[in-house]
Amino acid sequence: MKERIREILEEALPLVDLDSDFLFRELDSLGVATILMKLSEEYSIKLDAKDATPKNLKSLDSLEAMVKSKLEK
Amino acid sequence: MRLVDYLHQNARLYPDKTAAICGGEKISYKELSKKVLERSSSYKSGQVVPFKSSQSIDFLITYFAIHQAGGVAAPLEGDIPENRFGEISEILSASIVPDGTADILYTTGTTGKSKGVMISHKTIIADAENLIEGQGFSHDLLFIISGPLNHIGSLSKIFPVTMQGATLYILEGMKDLDKFFQALDYPAAKAATFFVPATIRMLLMFSGDRLAKYADKIDFIESGAAPLAHSDMLKLCEVLPKTRLYNTYASTETGIISTYNFNDGQCIPGCLGKPMSHSRIIITPEGKISCTGDTLMSGYVNDPDLTASVLKDNTIYTSDIGELDERGRLNLKGRETDVINVGGFKVSPSEVEDAAMSFPGLKDCICIGVPHPITGMALKLIVELENSRRLDKSSLAKYLKGKLELYKVPLLYEQSSAIKRTFNGKLDRKFYNSQKI
Repeated sequence: MKERIREILEEALPLVDLDSDFLFRELDSLGVATILMKLSEEYSIKLDAKDATPKNLKSLDSLEAMVKSKLEK
Repeated sequence: MRLVDYLHQNARLYPDKTAAICGGEKISYKELSKKVLERSSSYKSGQVVPFKSSQSIDFLITYFAIHQAGGVAAPLEGDIPENRFGEISEILSASIVPDGTADILYTTGTTGKSKGVMISHKTIIADAENLIEGQGFSHDLLFIISGPLNHIGSLSKIFPVTMQGATLYILEGMKDLDKFFQALDYPAAKAATFFVPATIRMLLMFSGDRLAKYADKIDFIESGAAPLAHSDMLKLCEVLPKTRLYNTYASTETGIISTYNFNDGQCIPGCLGKPMSHSRIIITPEGKISCTGDTLMSGYVNDPDLTASVLKDNTIYTSDIGELDERGRLNLKGRETDVINVGGFKVSPSEVEDAAMSFPGLKDCICIGVPHPITGMALKLIVELENSRRLDKSSLAKYLKGKLELYKVPLLYEQSSAIKRTFNGKLDRKFYNSQKI
């Protein structure tokens, strides 16, 4: 799943360094919204602003964990 | 009186009132006034001072201190590449600006390429009075600014807030929506803000329910810089039934001209309201919007020819197409220009193409606007490479980031075997725009 997330985000956000040790810092508001939108679409999950925390958006690993926890619900 | 004089006046009238809040830091009118006076000794009268803008109280101190000293403030993008900052600083240091100039604001604006718009102290006061009268900025208001302070959309809100002795709450963008809601929680009788349409779309998409909880506190929200989708206008009216919701006609060149509260039961798309007290709108025989009044720029810095092409007889001739309805309200019908509006930021495609042409291995390219679910429009760069090379999107995007302000860097890239040009060698924009790629 992590590689698929990488693929989607590389296409949507070409300027963002997805391997940054703190991904959230790399993003602007459009970047955050794009991540929420793309992951909601891809995995048919409901994400809202409360999910857009620096902790959830810290790295590709934390994004994967967030998607997995939503899928379990 | 200049805006900075109102600041000092308010420091005398309401010394302990909070003037601004930013990232856990607070400053009263008295302290702000004192810091402005202290810092003003760093600047000289008539000096044009370029500086990188930041979302901070320090921005306010620098901005007002330059005015206090009789200088001209030229706030540039916070993320402007160093070489571009150097280039602009060099041009500005050799510039002659008219007396009474307060600011030079860089914009893509009406005619395409990036240029410095000169704004006078008189313009700032007229903009402030227009907004106070037209939208109801009051002394007990908390105004939340999330957009870049060097852009007229956000900068112009400092004008009425300072004049009224109200409070500014400065946010660093809207990526952390929690921080916006924290700002709304700040103890104040009422709050207001300015959003570009992309931010409204984002809030409605991801936080509509939470926004609705502040229906009693949000006095008004202004949107501008790009058209707000009618579906978003209707939804916002539903979420905030008591809030005044304004669509405004404004630009760096014209100043703040007219505004329309679309939460009036009619919610007319494209309506931008009646001109405010310092402004007048005339529709030219060709159907284009022209504006007169005290809010107009004094001209483009160092470019009398370009100035003369849009500013004649104290009237600015825009490339926007519009009509005045039977009640004298402006209705925007479109724009006759190549400029692409990306979520409220105007980008000239030729500036992006010029920057991309020096990318190693790039033979030709065209920048177009394509629909985007959040920003309305996004930039797409279609490129032709030499010797059947493969495009590395990320390298090209990073290369452009080193040459352009961030909002001018395209989000989407596509490789093409040949870029279509017209018979006389010009890029065939009509062809690409009609393809809706």
